[in-house]
Formats: sequence, structure tokens, C-alpha cells
Amino acid sequence: MVEIQETHKKFQKELSSGTVSLALLSILTQAKEPLYGYQIGKLVGAGDDDTAGVMVKQGAIYPVLRSLENQGLLSSEREMSDSGPPRRYYQATETGQDALKSWTGIWQETKTFVDNVLGGDYQ
Amino acid sequence: MRTADELIRFYLQDLKSALRGADKATVQDALADAEEHLRTALESEGAEKEAEAEAVQAIISEYGEADEIAQAYKNWEVSLPPALVATPAARRVISGANPKSYPGFFGVFADPKAWGGLVFMLISLVTGILYFTWAVTGLSVSLGVMVLIIGIPVAIVFLLSFRGIAFLEGRLVEALLGERMPRRASFTDSSLSWKERLKILLTGKATWLSWIYMMLMLPLGIIYFTVMVTLLAVSISFMATPIGAIVMMAKDIPFDIFSSGDMVWTVSDPVGFMLTLLIAVLGFLIGTCTMHIARWIGKVHGKFAKALLVSE
Repeated sequence: MVEIQETHKKFQKELSSGTVSLALLSILTQAKEPLYGYQIGKLVGAGDDDTAGVMVKQGAIYPVLRSLENQGLLSSEREMSDSGPPRRYYQATETGQDALKSWTGIWQETKTFVDNVLGGDYQ
Repeated sequence: MRTADELIRFYLQDLKSALRGADKATVQDALADAEEHLRTALESEGAEKEAEAEAVQAIISEYGEADEIAQAYKNWEVSLPPALVATPAARRVISGANPKSYPGFFGVFADPKAWGGLVFMLISLVTGILYFTWAVTGLSVSLGVMVLIIGIPVAIVFLLSFRGIAFLEGRLVEALLGERMPRRASFTDSSLSWKERLKILLTGKATWLSWIYMMLMLPLGIIYFTVMVTLLAVSISFMATPIGAIVMMAKDIPFDIFSSGDMVWTVSDPVGFMLTLLIAVLGFLIGTCTMHIARWIGKVHGKFAKALLVSE
């Protein structure tokens, strides 16, 4: 049983690594203003614990944000807040917005393909 | 019952030990991210003083287990997931943002790291002098006024400035030499009392390693600058030889490019002029080697800077 659990975890991890990038890029492209990590975490994590398969831990989005920033898809700025610690605000760059369009296309294709296979269209 | 601050501190310690073996800069960034998140979350939840500890527990569980988060950083630091790298758009984006080293002997001219190394070596004389002066002044002034009551604040300001300079130098090293350095100032535990913080500042490895780096930058800066200027001067003057020859021909100045016994070639001889062209080619080759040297020293210096300036 433990081994099966591990397999589930591995599958979930592999599946989420790409989709989380897509989701974060999309959230930040749609956002009207720059968002900071905690806000993004709230948006991603909104929902209940029953759908844990898709959700990521809030802490796991920071390395993804960082990686997207490294690739020039996001930009960030550190700002002091009136109360509490300084916050880093993230925003999608133009490159990021372009990338989102291609990624969305890839996602649609993937989704159709997987849906078709699961729906038995290839039988 | 632990307080909210203690819980955050314990979590950060867990995260740090879970990240053992990861890139030092990654560790520092991960800790900064976590602390910012936990404290911002606590602030935003607006819990009562008595309920803060419980709120922090909930926030931490939403943030994720230290092991899990550490793993996420390790994974993401390596690269993008393969699925996305395979798309042309992503590949274009990646190759633009993160150029790989350029192949071939002359490819070095297209390599930003070689140019970065060159600029770094040229400015290292200036930064080296500044760092060295500041490091020596700071330490001697601090020690000198130690007996007075103002001694302690003076020492604190200098010690803090060493940390700050180390961070800025890190940014310069990453920008020019491409070595991954911390992108956030190192994380200080804001719940500690000022006495404890002072102790960390005084006895911390980071402060003194930064100081050593600043001291070493003077001799290194002199060496880097001298080597680079010499090589560049030789290479550029060799490459300019044919131009000089043409100028001398135009002004009718006889100049022996080569003379041995009865054999004399002036620059206006065809053979003599060919010789100047050969010298120019040699100058270009020296210039190319210079770029390779700049890239190599840049790489080595990056590792050296990381060893001394990143302490997490």
C-alpha cells in the first residue's frame, strides 16, 4: 500500500510541475496589479482539501515564481509594507504574456489528447 | 506552549536543515521567501495575540512541510520541467535568458560571460581599493574607539556595512560572472533581542569572511587589472600595426619593420607590409586568448566569491 502511495505521489508531482507554472503565469497575466506571494498562494490554494490532487502547498509556489522570473517571464519588486515585513510583488512581463499564449495552446492540445484517451476514443 | 515567533524560527531551522546539500544561495533565498510568507500571512490573518501561535501553526501547515518545500526548491533550482523545455517558445525564452557557453575558439566573443569577466577584471581595481580601504578603516576605527561609549555603535555600523557590501558584491558577481549568488539579503531573525543579534554580527562567520574578501580584493584587483590592461594593450596595438604602417606610408616616414644585416624591410615594402598584417593577426589571436582568460578567471572568481560571501 505504501508503494502505491509513493507512485501516486510521484505521478502527482510530475503532473503538477508543468501545470503550476502555467497556472501562476496565467494568474499573474490576468491580475490587474502586481501580486505578492501570500496573495498568489491564497488564489492558488482557494478551494477545499478534497481536491488536494491539483493544489500545491503555498510554499512550493515560491521556487516556481523564482524560476519563471529567471526565465524573464515574470518581474518582481520588493516593497516595504505599512505594517509587517517587506513584500515581493510579482508581475508578468511581455515575454511572459507571449509565453502564456503558447503554453495555453499546448495545454489545450494535451487536455484534448488525454480526454480522448481516457474517454476510450482510441479503442 | 511556544510563541508564534518561536514556531516560525523552528520552521525556518527545519527548512534550513532539510535544504542541506542544496546550493547555498538557494538556501538563503528559500529562507527569505519562507520568512516573508509566514510573517505576511500572520499579519494578514490578524489573529489575536493569544491565538497567534495557533494561527501560525495553520499557516505553516498550508505553507507545506519543510521537507516537501525543500524538495520543491531543489527541483526548481535545477531546471524547468522537461515537458515545458520541449516547447519552442519555452526553449527560445530559456536560451535568451540563460545563454549556454559558446563553442569554438572564436565563439568566446559571443559569450556574455567572457565580456562580463573582462569588465569585472577592469573594475576590480577600483572596487578592490574601495573595499580594502573601507575594511581597514572600519576595523581600525572600531578597535580604536572601542574604549569609548560611542565605540559600540561605530563598530555595529561598520560590521553591518561589511554584510551589506558583501551582498552588493554578490549582485555584481552574479550580473557579470554568472555565478548564482543570493538575491535576497540574508535572513535575520527579527524576534531576537538586539544583544543576540549583536552577538551573531560579531561572531558570525559571514561578517568576517566578508571582511577577508574585501581585504583580498585589493591584491586580486591589482593583479586582474594589470593582466587585463597589459593583454588588451598588446592585442590592440598589434592589431593596429597595419593602420600605423599606412599612416607612415602616407606621411613618407621610413620605418624598418624588420632589419637583419643587409636585409631591411620598411613598411612601404610589400613584404614589410605583409609582416604588419601578420602582426595584426597575432594581435587578434592574443585578443581571443585574452577573452578566454577573462572567462576563466571570471568563473574561478565566481566560485571564490561564493565561498567567502555566501554563508548559509
